[in-house]
Amino acid sequence: MNLQEVRVEEAKGNIVRDCPGTRYHICCGYKTIDLIEGCIMSCSYCILKAYINNPCIKINKDIPYIISQVEHMIDAETNHTLRFGTGELSDSLALDRKLGLNRPLIEFFGEKKRALLELKSKWAYITHLAPYLNPYTVISFSVAPQNIISKEEKRTSPLYKRLLAARKAQELGCFVGLHFDPVIIYEGFEKDYEYLIDDIGRILDLKKVIWVSMGLLRFPPRLLDRFIEEGRKNLLYGEFVRGEDGKYRYIKQERIKVYRMLHDLLKAREENLFIYLCMEREDIWQKVTGLTVEDNKTLIGFFDKRIENLFGGNI
Amino acid sequence: MKTIDIDHININDRRFCISYPMYDSTLLSSINKIGIIQPVILLNTMPYVVITGFKRTLTAIQAGFTKIPSVIVDVSEKDALLYAIHDNIKRGLNIVEKGHCIERMLHMGFSLTEIHETMILLSLDPHEKIVERLTAVADMEDTFKAFITTKGIAMKQVEMLMYFSSEERSEIIDILTSIHTTESFIREILELLNLVKIKKGGIDFDSLKNVPDAQELKKILKKLVNPILVSLEEELKRIKLLCALSPDIDIKVDPFFEKGYIDMLIRAKTEDKAKDAIEKLRNILNKGYIRSILELTRG
Repeated sequence: MNLQEVRVEEAKGNIVRDCPGTRYHICCGYKTIDLIEGCIMSCSYCILKAYINNPCIKINKDIPYIISQVEHMIDAETNHTLRFGTGELSDSLALDRKLGLNRPLIEFFGEKKRALLELKSKWAYITHLAPYLNPYTVISFSVAPQNIISKEEKRTSPLYKRLLAARKAQELGCFVGLHFDPVIIYEGFEKDYEYLIDDIGRILDLKKVIWVSMGLLRFPPRLLDRFIEEGRKNLLYGEFVRGEDGKYRYIKQERIKVYRMLHDLLKAREENLFIYLCMEREDIWQKVTGLTVEDNKTLIGFFDKRIENLFGGNI
Repeated sequence: MKTIDIDHININDRRFCISYPMYDSTLLSSINKIGIIQPVILLNTMPYVVITGFKRTLTAIQAGFTKIPSVIVDVSEKDALLYAIHDNIKRGLNIVEKGHCIERMLHMGFSLTEIHETMILLSLDPHEKIVERLTAVADMEDTFKAFITTKGIAMKQVEMLMYFSSEERSEIIDILTSIHTTESFIREILELLNLVKIKKGGIDFDSLKNVPDAQELKKILKKLVNPILVSLEEELKRIKLLCALSPDIDIKVDPFFEKGYIDMLIRAKTEDKAKDAIEKLRNILNKGYIRSILELTRG
């Protein structure tokens, strides 16, 4: 990967924090570690373009300080298994081969054995981490039909490489996460997602997929202007309305239809797959999964149960 | 100050001219009544070139004047342009005029730093993207410039209009000129038109011609962009009509049918009025209309 345009700055402040979630929608209680702010991938729909008004990428290299913050959070939590991720304000793996920021975190979580670290990425390179990986690190990939990757995620790894990297992570003893996020409604998307799920089922051991998230495309109003300016047909094909949180989302009727389609396709391949919706409403949860998820706490409980099922007493 | 024969001025040399539009009926009346009070500034070349006062010069010609009070200066081309800009800053420039300033500065080889300094004086963000957009405005066809200055529309909407081809812009301007519009309405319409173009691959302008008013235009476009939402709105309207709600009762549904609940409002001044309203609501409930409305919010 060409790193010439990356400018490195030291970041300070609160690095480990709760995922901000979004108003009136259910959030999974994720903890984010802002190791890096900004991304070199430049996906067309990326909300970082609206939230981070800075072209350079900020990197926090003070790993001991970050680990102390993480440890403090883990030690203070007695009821739940915390999940931490570095992929909220950046891609977890894209710069890691050069910067090597993940290794000490992976080692810390492996020794602590009390919480999970998720490395969420669209960049399919984990070889440099292979010697350090352990079950307490979840390697996750954002997945989308290759058609979308080619047009909207131009600087990322192709789908087959992501899936092969995920399989490699499974072979190295890690659980894998899959993120169907953002799911994009475009002409003929149904068939493409069907093929995508076929590929996933063929390449990965679905019993070692710890979680699958689904989130349909949503974006703040500022991005609508950008999509219009850039004439993004794929991104604007569906019917959008303003949600209660002010973001644009596909109209509810469409969201339910698409979530159901994906949910059913995934469940048909592995009944016990743990699928959750990212930033969705209670009524959508009910319609898609049949589960009553009244609040964040209920969803966090589902995660605890899933982790307990997979790790038993080892966490 | 001198009085100069207008014939000695090259009015086709407009390198320092930033004004738009060029003709002003108020100025014409004023000049007709009391003549030109403030002299124009001319560059000392032969023929002379107007630095400031282009509108006054053209209006004087229109009013039949053959001479004009002038101040002749010997300055560099760059300084002359800065004179022209600074002479006009105090009156507040429109978007086209700001575009002319930036475009002329670029053309005369001002550095980006100098341009950014002027942009701050013009109340513009000194960003390269704004420079690009304003120079594009300066290069636009006259119908476009006339439309955006007449309607006084903001830069955001100007940009949205610029996403279209010149043929499409011409059609859009024709439509928007033929109906009464407000700025917020123009913003909505331009957003909808852009979405139609991107989603459908083009705009069927024939279907938009002869719309009686702004609301009808918006309705047609909204149906193309938000067909599901429009059908939900129509269904809600139909059910509400069946409910025959009296003015003291209202059923409020989220405008985008996102919220999974509805609000029912009763306005009552007395206990009896409250009882009446509750009874009416019970009647609506028994007929299944509330259930039908709730169904609309459930996707």
